[in-house]
Amino acid sequence: MTQENRSGRPQGRPPEGDSRVTRTEVQLRGPFLLFFISSVIWLLAASVLGVIAALQQGSLAGAAFRDCEILTYGHVAAAQHNLFVYGWGFNAFFALNLWLLSQLGRFELRNGWLATLGGVFWNLALTYGVVQIFAGNQTGFALLEFPREVGPVLAVAFLLAGFWPIVAFARRPTGHTFASQWFVVAASFAFPLTYLLAQLLILWQPASGVVQAIAHSWFVSNLLHLWFGASALAAVYYFLPKVLGRTISGYYLAPVAFWSFVLFAGWTGPAALIGAPVPLWLQSVGVVAGAMLIIPVIITAINFHGTLSSEGGWSRAWNDTTLRFVSFGAVAFTVFGVLNAIFSFRGYNAVTRFTSFAAGQEQLLTYAFATMVLFGSAYFVLPRLTGSLWPSAKLVHVHFWSTALGAVASIVALLVGGWENGKQLADASVSVQQIAKSTTSWNTVLSVSAVLLLVGHIAFALNAFGMILKSSAPASAGRHD
Amino acid sequence: MNDRNRHPDNNRPRRGSSGAGSEGPSDGRLVEVHSQLSRDKDEPAEGFSLTPIFIVFLFCGFGFWAGLYLTQNSGNFAPSAFDLNAPKASLAGGPVAFEPDAAKGQTLFLANCAACHQATGLGVPGAFPPLVKSVWVTGSEDRLVKAILAGLAGEIEVNGVKYNGNMPNIGAGLKDAQIAHIATYVRQAWGNVAEPVMDTKVAEVRKAIGNRAQYSPADLLKEHPLEAK
Repeated sequence: MTQENRSGRPQGRPPEGDSRVTRTEVQLRGPFLLFFISSVIWLLAASVLGVIAALQQGSLAGAAFRDCEILTYGHVAAAQHNLFVYGWGFNAFFALNLWLLSQLGRFELRNGWLATLGGVFWNLALTYGVVQIFAGNQTGFALLEFPREVGPVLAVAFLLAGFWPIVAFARRPTGHTFASQWFVVAASFAFPLTYLLAQLLILWQPASGVVQAIAHSWFVSNLLHLWFGASALAAVYYFLPKVLGRTISGYYLAPVAFWSFVLFAGWTGPAALIGAPVPLWLQSVGVVAGAMLIIPVIITAINFHGTLSSEGGWSRAWNDTTLRFVSFGAVAFTVFGVLNAIFSFRGYNAVTRFTSFAAGQEQLLTYAFATMVLFGSAYFVLPRLTGSLWPSAKLVHVHFWSTALGAVASIVALLVGGWENGKQLADASVSVQQIAKSTTSWNTVLSVSAVLLLVGHIAFALNAFGMILKSSAPASAGRHD
Repeated sequence: MNDRNRHPDNNRPRRGSSGAGSEGPSDGRLVEVHSQLSRDKDEPAEGFSLTPIFIVFLFCGFGFWAGLYLTQNSGNFAPSAFDLNAPKASLAGGPVAFEPDAAKGQTLFLANCAACHQATGLGVPGAFPPLVKSVWVTGSEDRLVKAILAGLAGEIEVNGVKYNGNMPNIGAGLKDAQIAHIATYVRQAWGNVAEPVMDTKVAEVRKAIGNRAQYSPADLLKEHPLEAK
C-alpha cells in the first residue's frame, strides 16, 4: 500500500517553471470551475444521503430516522440517485467534455457566460427538483422523479451548458478526428434527445399503457450508456495515450467500437422489462442488444488493456494518480460489459429481477467506471487550470483507497446479494424471514461502503477545494512563478 | 522513452519537472498520430496480426446468433405476444383453442343452409322442416351433427308436422370447426337454448360414421331417440 509513496508523485503536477496555461484553458476556466465545484458539492450531498439511505435499509441504525418523515427511504434514495446522476455526473462531465474537446479541437470558448448561465440554470433546477422530492412531489419513474416542470428547464440548461463540445468539434482546425471526440459528440446529442422524448411520452403527454414503461427503460439505458458510458469512454481514450505517451493498441478497431456502442446501447433498455406485458420482440431485442454490447466491450478491452499491457504500462499507471483512477475505470467497464452480456439472458434475468442486481450493474457503470474516470481526469485537469499543486498527497491516497474499496464492496454486495436473494425468492421452501435475515448482512456491507465512499469524497473535496482556494486567493502568485 | 515525446510541442509548453515528463504527446499530435493509425491499418504491425481475422469471425458469429435468437424468441413480432412460455399458437397471435362462434355460424348458415331452412329457421311448410324449437336441433349433439354430415332422406316428423324431405350431406364439404360454428348457431338462435358444439365433437362423429350415405330419420332415431320435450 505504501509502494506508491516511493515514486513521490502520486498527484498530478501543476504546470511549473516556464509553463503557462494555454489560451483555450484560460477561456474555459470560469465555466469549468463552476461545473466542477458544483459537481463536487452535489457529490458530497449525494454521499451523505447515500449513507442515510443505506442505514435505513439496513436494520442496525434504521430506527434513528424512523420518526423523521422527510428522511424516509423513499425520499432519501430518490434524492440521492438524482443528485448523483444529475448533480455529480452531469456537472462533472459538462466540465470534462468541454475541456476535452476544447483541447482536442484547439477551441477557444468565447461565450463562456452562456455555459455559465446554463450551469446556473441546471443547478437551480436541480435544487428545486430535490426540494420537491423531499416535499413528496415526485413522479414514479426512476431518474425522472423531479416534478415535470423541472424537465424543460434542465433541457434548456443542457443546451446552454452541454452543447459546447459539439461547437468545439465543429470548429476543429483539422479534418482528423479522435475517438474521444466521437464519444463526446454522441453523448452531447443523445442525452437531450432522449430526455425530451422521455419527458414528453411519460410526463407531459403520457402515452397509454406499457408504452410508458418502454419509454422509461429506453431513457434510463440511454442515460446510463450514452451519457455516463460514452463520456467516460472518451476520457479513457484520451488519458491513456496522453499520459503514457504512446498510441492506443488496435486503434483502427475504435470506429467499430464507437458505432456498435452507439447502435446497441440505445436498445438495451427493454431487457429490464423481461417478464412484463410488453411485446416479446421488444424484450428479445433488449436481450440481443445487451449481449451484442460485448462487441464494443471487447474492442475497448483490446484498446485499453492492450495499451496498458505493453512496456510496463500497468505499473506506470499505478504510479500515476490520473491513470490509477482511469485504468480502474477501464477494468470496471470491461467487467460491466461482460456481466451485462451474460445477465441480460432470460434464464439469469429470471433470478435477478426484483433484486438489487440491477442497482449493482448501474453502480458498476456509473461509479466504478464513470466516476473513477472522472476523478482521474480531475487530477489531470485541475492543476493545469488552477496552476497550483494538489495540497495533500495523503488525501489523494485516502481518496483512492476508500473510493476503490467502497465501490468494490458495494458492487459485490449488490450483485452477489441480489443473486442470492433472487435464488431464495424463487425457492418456495425458504421463508420470508430467512430472506430478510440474509439481506441484512449484505445491507451492513452496503452501509460500510457508503461510509467509505463518503470519506473518499470528503478527502477529494478537501484537496480540490484547497487547491482552488490556494490558486484564487493570491491570484497572481500561483500563476506567475 | 518514445519518439513523440521528443517532438517540440507546438500547442503546449513542455513540462519542466521530470514528474510531468510522463506527459505524452500534445493534443494536436495525439489526434494526428491516431488518425494516421486508423488509415494505415493494413500495414503489418507487430503483435496483433491474428487479432483482426479472429475478431471478424467472432463478430460475425455474434451477429448470426443475434438473428437466430430474435427470430426464435420474438413471437413472430406480433404486438400481442408477450409471454415466451405461452403455447405457440398464441405467440403467433392466432386462436389459443377452438371457440364456437355463433356469428361465424350465422354466416355459414346463410351460405349453406338458409336456402331450404330459411334465414328465419322456420323452413318452408310442407317442404322443409323448421329448426326453431325443434328437438332435432336442440337435443342430442350427435344426432344433429350426424344429420349435417351425412344428410337425411325420408319421412320426418318435426313438432307434430310430417315432412318428406331430402337433405344432402352438406357437412361433408365443410371443416369440423365450420360445422361446429353452424351447429352452435342453430342451437342458440331464434330462441333455441342448447349447449354449443365443439369441433372435437364433430371430428369424433365424422370418424365414427365414416363415408356414410344419407340417414333415414328412422335409422337416426334408432341411434339417438328423440328426447322428451
